[in-house]
Amino acid sequence: MKHRLPFTLVFVVFAMTLLLWPLKPYLVETAALTPFYADEFTFGKLFCTHCGLLFQVAAGFQSCFAYPWLGAGLFVAVLVAIAYVQRWAFRVGDNWFGICWISSFALLLNFTQLGYLIYTLKHPAVAFAPALGFLAAFALIGLWFRLKEWWWKLAFLLLIPAVGFWLLGFFGVLVAPFVGFCEMGIARFKQFDEPSSVGKRSFRRPFRGNDTPHMLWGLALFFLGLLLPSLLQLVLHRHLDWETGHIPFGNLNREMRLPWILALAVPLFYAVFRLDGKRRWTAAVSAIVFVAAGAAAYHYSFLDHNFLNTLRMKHASEAGEWNRVLVLARENKQEPTRAQVCLTRLALFKTGRMGDELFTYPEGAAEYNAPQQNQWLRLMIGPLLYYHYGKTGFAYRWAMEDLVEYGERPAYLRYLYNVALLNGEDALAQRYERALARTLFYKSSVAHICASETSKESEFSSIRPLLNYTDQLDGDDGLVEFYLLHSFALSEGGSREMVELSLMNSLITKNLTGFWPRLLALLPTWQGHIPTHYQEAALMVAQLQGGAPVSDLPIDPAIGQRFQRLVQASAQNGDNAANAIALRPEFGTTYWYYYFFVEGLKTN
Amino acid sequence: MNRFLFIYYFIAVVLTTVTWGCAPSVPTSYKEAAGTVAVSPDNFGATLPPNIAPLNFHIMQGDASEAVTHLHSRNGGELIVAGWDVCFEEDEWHQMLEQTRGDSLYCDIYLKAYGVWEHLPTQRFYIAEEEIDPYITYRLIRPSYVTYEELTINERCLENFDERVIYENIRFEDSEQGQCINCHMPHNWNRDAQSQFHVRQNLGGTVFISGSDATKVNLKTDSTLSAGVYPAWHPTLNLIAYSVNETGQVFHTLDPQKIEVIDYASDLILYDLDANTVQHIDRTASEFESFPSWSPDGRTLYYIAARYTPRAEDIDADLDSNYDQLHYNIYARDFDLQTRCFGPRRLVFDAESLGKSASVPRVSPDGKYLLFTLADYGQFHIWHKSADLQLLSLTPDPSPMDEAAEALNSPESESYHAWSSNGRWVLFSSRRDDGNYTRLYISYFDSKGRAHRPFRLPQRTTDDDDLLLRSYNAAEFMVNPVQPTQRQLRKVIQSDARPAVYAGSALLHPEADSTAHTVSLPTERRSSTIAY
Repeated sequence: MKHRLPFTLVFVVFAMTLLLWPLKPYLVETAALTPFYADEFTFGKLFCTHCGLLFQVAAGFQSCFAYPWLGAGLFVAVLVAIAYVQRWAFRVGDNWFGICWISSFALLLNFTQLGYLIYTLKHPAVAFAPALGFLAAFALIGLWFRLKEWWWKLAFLLLIPAVGFWLLGFFGVLVAPFVGFCEMGIARFKQFDEPSSVGKRSFRRPFRGNDTPHMLWGLALFFLGLLLPSLLQLVLHRHLDWETGHIPFGNLNREMRLPWILALAVPLFYAVFRLDGKRRWTAAVSAIVFVAAGAAAYHYSFLDHNFLNTLRMKHASEAGEWNRVLVLARENKQEPTRAQVCLTRLALFKTGRMGDELFTYPEGAAEYNAPQQNQWLRLMIGPLLYYHYGKTGFAYRWAMEDLVEYGERPAYLRYLYNVALLNGEDALAQRYERALARTLFYKSSVAHICASETSKESEFSSIRPLLNYTDQLDGDDGLVEFYLLHSFALSEGGSREMVELSLMNSLITKNLTGFWPRLLALLPTWQGHIPTHYQEAALMVAQLQGGAPVSDLPIDPAIGQRFQRLVQASAQNGDNAANAIALRPEFGTTYWYYYFFVEGLKTN
Repeated sequence: MNRFLFIYYFIAVVLTTVTWGCAPSVPTSYKEAAGTVAVSPDNFGATLPPNIAPLNFHIMQGDASEAVTHLHSRNGGELIVAGWDVCFEEDEWHQMLEQTRGDSLYCDIYLKAYGVWEHLPTQRFYIAEEEIDPYITYRLIRPSYVTYEELTINERCLENFDERVIYENIRFEDSEQGQCINCHMPHNWNRDAQSQFHVRQNLGGTVFISGSDATKVNLKTDSTLSAGVYPAWHPTLNLIAYSVNETGQVFHTLDPQKIEVIDYASDLILYDLDANTVQHIDRTASEFESFPSWSPDGRTLYYIAARYTPRAEDIDADLDSNYDQLHYNIYARDFDLQTRCFGPRRLVFDAESLGKSASVPRVSPDGKYLLFTLADYGQFHIWHKSADLQLLSLTPDPSPMDEAAEALNSPESESYHAWSSNGRWVLFSSRRDDGNYTRLYISYFDSKGRAHRPFRLPQRTTDDDDLLLRSYNAAEFMVNPVQPTQRQLRKVIQSDARPAVYAGSALLHPEADSTAHTVSLPTERRSSTIAY
């Protein structure tokens, strides 16, 4: 006991800190991507699919990540239980207890390593399903070694493969071959250890006191464990699909499968090597292994700053905390991804600060730190951007496409619901409302269930002015930012908000064709103060194209003088590259600098 | 022994008393209420087949605390259910319907609010004499755009709630290449256990089922636009007419209709199952032909066609901009059963002149009526809120019967439809419930050619429809279940497809056939997966 508590405490502190500090937004996002519905309809279908029970329970636990303390607490509790159950099942001595934590660290890492892949992994509960599955499997293996009567063992052999696959999928199938493997291992122990203690572990062996028959017995159990589920499947539940979806590998690359395999391999190690020694060095080895496993779990966890910051910005956007989005954007010290840039621009638009501040925020096109350069922007924030920019058809479309591809995740249902409500499709909204009301933690997304009906109306009121355009047939090929930029930059007319978006997006795309009509249309709405970037653009366009009425505009003299300094300085510094470096300190936050020196940004 | 008998007797008495005490009863004292109670689905007033599964429904609670539903007929039968979820016991329901053939079934709902029972106005079902085909087949699909996962082709017994998956695509889905399945079409209501469905992309081909056997054929030839798409089995010969389509989807930015499914080119072909040959029926370059359908005697092929004159070199872009200018009419060609050749085409219904567009023509089994979908434009009407079902009398001269199909329609889209084998029931898709998720409705079609108020496909509980985020798609009646198991079908689909051979034109005067389309390369927006 004295060795167990420190291991446990260290693991709990480590795992909780990792999950609740850097990975907190990841937990919240994981919850939104977990399809868990608590109602009779879902429970009625629980036993209709293989692994149904495990997936449903695991998804229920995983949806608790919506409250990170609760979800992390549950997850860590399951991982702690895995270590203890392993110790119990395989009779691991206290000195070797550190080894039992390898599976727990591996299963923690199995979840924390995913990063962007959490969006594309088609699995209902990637964190909890393997954890609970292994826990159940280890507990059943432990039970086998504690069954004394042969009829209990026989019942176990028949029942676990038959029902196990049905309820637990792969993990149910795992038990019987594992037991067989352990039985073979016991034969091996027998050669080196006292036979009496080994004998206690196995039940009426066909040939007592002989190692070879014992090995054969284990081998028979092993193959029986493999074959029985297949045979029983043929006879009992033909409707179940044997081949699909037991192991949550999905599109994980090989390296990312290692934690999962490690979690499985360690208990096999127990079967081959007996870990009940009491020598002092064993405790040291155990502690070293524990620390190494923890270090590896931390090292290989996906703690990418851009990823986590994007999630924080996304969650702030979903909560309508636009100022917080801007604070997060400002605090970012790395080159941002396009997703962060898009969220920043959206927040600036929502707060009415777009014209004054847009080019003062970090610009960039950092690659997404993911195995493939997928459509991460679309997957993470596509529906959010389209919804808030009034392209409701496309918000609905991508939420639906992803729902089809990745399952009925609350993250998608929220946008389907919002768009239906905004479109006035009340019956459709009610359908999604019913679906969201079945979740544990996303009922508040539903306007009339939560107290925030007024906040929903205020959200809609900021989007409605952007719906003032003629519908058209279009396609974006998943290039959300590119589509939004160009659709606004090329649009004409509409509400004040739409004209400002078309002005700003034409500036961003450096398409100055419609600059003056848009600027002049907006002029009366600014009541004397033209936002800074538009003043900068007006001076620049007048300089480049000539003949524009700049003198009639209320241009801030300071901005005018700054522009003159830019013109003079750029003439002195020589080529464009030299200018870009030299002018950045003074002019890096102006539209001029963006227009002349920020190039080659890859949208999406 | 006597002691045990006494115990058994005692238990029996207690159980009987408890059961009797719990059995719901119709309130004896109540006051009459005005108005109606909201139920879901609201099937009251519909005409029901005598062999249909129980029409369970849910009563919206409102202010009431208790509810009792009393179903009864004139010849004394009754069913009483307490509670908000009104689920009838299957055997009792069937017995009641059998007793009520050709008569009315009455439904009284009593609600208890603030301690007082109220009786709502009596509702009525009419039970037809004619039975409905016991099975239907359909595809379950999310009302999606271009992605598709977990598509299933299902079979449902209409006499109870048994549903089974004939084939599902998840096995052959991977991140590289998906698999789409569609258009499960039985031959002659599956009387002779023959049907077909398409598999697209991964392991693609058309699967022909005959009894418990199946084969896979590749209907795409170098001379045709695509593999077969919308099928029409010839009633007596081993022939299937197909449309071949280059279809794409484009998306509305704002309109709640959400998607336009556009054919950028389409023709008609005839596939001979015995000879494994494909022939062109109609490939007029300036027209898009689609949705073939045979008359019951097999002597006429009905189909839709729209005239298209390109306004720009880029046909895709032109059609995307002018999608609402494409109007399909209904045409027919006579078919000679001996020579197996088609005659010249004739116009059956001029939708264009009405500023409308027709799709999915289907002739009733008695050959008297043509049921089709009519909307403002295009041919893929499931996404068009203007889409309604229309009837055309085929004898002696085709004439529209505007009021005859009125009962079938709603402000939302009504589209794909099928006749039962006896011609007395029409199965059709409708989005009337929420404008987005297609549900199946069944209507009685009487001998005078009038459709009656439809009812929604019965479900065990209302949740089965309300919580299902999938659409019912391309449903067809069947008199027999499909025989092969999923395992057998998977095996066939994994095998190589037998290539069909092109055999020229099936027209009596092929020279009249104008120049064929130039087969264009598929563009990104062209898709093989469309949720009709």
